[in-house]
Amino acid sequence: MTSMLATHRIKLTVLLIAANLGLILHLLSGEIKPVSAWDWLDVAGEGGSAVLILVWIGLLLKSRPAGYVTDLLFTGLGCLFFSLFMDTVDEFIALPVAINWDGWLESGPMPVGFILLTLGIFHWHREQLAINEQMRNRERLFREHRQFDKLTPLGDANYLRAQLQLALGEASNARQPLSVIMLDLDAFSRINREYGHAEGDRLLQVLTQLLLLNLRQHDLLCRLAGDRFVVTLPHTGERQAQLLAGEMGQAVRSLAYKSSRQGERIELSATVVALMARDEDTSSLLQRLNIAMARAKQNLTVQYG
Amino acid sequence: MDRGERAAGWLECDTRFIPAHYQPASLIDLALGRGVNVHRLLQGTGLFHEDILAGNRLISPLQFLRLISNVQQQMQADDTSFLLGQQWLPGHYGAASHALRHATNLLEALERLVRLQPLLWPLLRLRLRVDERYVWLDWGDCFGAGGQDVFLVEASMAALTGVSQWLSGQRLPWLFHLAHTQPRYIEQYWVHLGEQLRFDSPLNQMCLPRKYLHQPWAGASATAGQVAEQEGLAMLAALPAVQSLLDGLHDHLLAQIRQPLRLEGVAESFGMSPATLKRKLQKHGTHFQEQLDQARSSVALELYQSRGYTSDEVADYLNFNDRANFRRSLRRWTGLLPSELREWLGGQR
Repeated sequence: MTSMLATHRIKLTVLLIAANLGLILHLLSGEIKPVSAWDWLDVAGEGGSAVLILVWIGLLLKSRPAGYVTDLLFTGLGCLFFSLFMDTVDEFIALPVAINWDGWLESGPMPVGFILLTLGIFHWHREQLAINEQMRNRERLFREHRQFDKLTPLGDANYLRAQLQLALGEASNARQPLSVIMLDLDAFSRINREYGHAEGDRLLQVLTQLLLLNLRQHDLLCRLAGDRFVVTLPHTGERQAQLLAGEMGQAVRSLAYKSSRQGERIELSATVVALMARDEDTSSLLQRLNIAMARAKQNLTVQYG
Repeated sequence: MDRGERAAGWLECDTRFIPAHYQPASLIDLALGRGVNVHRLLQGTGLFHEDILAGNRLISPLQFLRLISNVQQQMQADDTSFLLGQQWLPGHYGAASHALRHATNLLEALERLVRLQPLLWPLLRLRLRVDERYVWLDWGDCFGAGGQDVFLVEASMAALTGVSQWLSGQRLPWLFHLAHTQPRYIEQYWVHLGEQLRFDSPLNQMCLPRKYLHQPWAGASATAGQVAEQEGLAMLAALPAVQSLLDGLHDHLLAQIRQPLRLEGVAESFGMSPATLKRKLQKHGTHFQEQLDQARSSVALELYQSRGYTSDEVADYLNFNDRANFRRSLRRWTGLLPSELREWLGGQR
């Protein structure tokens, strides 16, 4: 993640220079207090807050790409840090009474910082709504980053289980049908073997995008394991689910996927099965789906799964 | 060749005989491909990436196991063992891999895998048994895998499933017996192995109807395969020893299973003092009684599965005069009472 920090180098440098200038200004005009005059409570309180804000800045810059939301958040936090830092310096250096700019250095940036931070958080909220829209069909209601799949931008099997359990509860409360679709590529292990795992990984990522394009507003796509995906379809009966499953199978067959090395087309097909949930729990629904998949695979003419 | 009587020595958990650019390399490639830091990956193994790239470094089973443990910690993904297993066979291990690649049917492939096992699959040992109806494959621990045992069993089964599927061109209806409890990530087993899974079994085993053994495989070259196997056997003979101590012990115990077996007597036939044998077993994280229990358990299961023996007949074969004692022992070996075992055996058909 160091690369993310690199894009923020200028911001960090400016903050560092500002903090140093403040310190030098204090040193030039004042004198260092004797240790007996230090107020340790103030030092710990103000200095500690300054350090914590520095940690926030670090985490913020490490995790966010550059952009105006990041700039706002950073400038706001930067002002707060500067203000607290000046406060802390003040504890060690006594300034002549005639000087009054130090009050400005301590208290001036604080309200500016809060205003900028508020603006930043407001725009962050807007940004998050936009990202949620992009996450459509990939997450529902709650987010759990530990359940993100490691390879594709989808939830993993644990996320699927949690979501399926929610959906089953909702469906039985609202007396609405709930269906699930399972999709498994045919001959995927041969692609891994003949083109290498990197190609297989890339294919799964492309396939994820393709499947997302074929879903409706409230459907949820998760990656179960390997090349096996599961779609949760709320308010959907079995017939409708079969129809959607057929369309997904067709979409995979029509995908003209090109290998990354030679650029030749790799012919793809997938086995897709759909089931309507009965009065059952998550694991028995998944188990039933899996058995349906195994049966469908047995009927393939080219048995290579 | 009776390996058990060879005095030349044994492969032990600290014998350096595994080429680092063979099986360990694909593990490293997978981890690096998924963004694991190379230093964290090699931490505590005594290896450097340059050593592996140089292509002449040999590592010990202990180093390999440590590498696997690092990968498990750093990758935190449920499918690592299965993906690695699929890459590990037939692999790129020179003549041994060629011999496997050019097997003309499943039986030949399995026999070559057994014969060339230290080269192809160094950490676990495959034992092959064909009876009138089924082929049985048991996986035994060669060097004391410790916490990596489930990982290795998953990788082994995925490897064998994958290579048999690739070479035969079809998904074979394997049945899997797994000694561990069903894990949370059962979906990985469904996708990479299949649906016929039985957890909490007495041992790690795969089973397939016998008719699949002799179906001819397209794309194999019989001559190339035979030549490669000869080369592979020559490579095997060049190893410090051809068999691990635990495998040698297992074979010895199987051969003598109807005799009274004690640590002292066995140590003598192995040409070492009882204290030495005890110490060596301890080094591999095991002890004599555990090895003896495992040997008896595998004999008992063979009698039940392949010869249809009743519990009384098994007890007689293993020289148990006391039924209660046999029940207790069977429970210790397999975790099941004779009646439960019969039920379990009945469930696999």
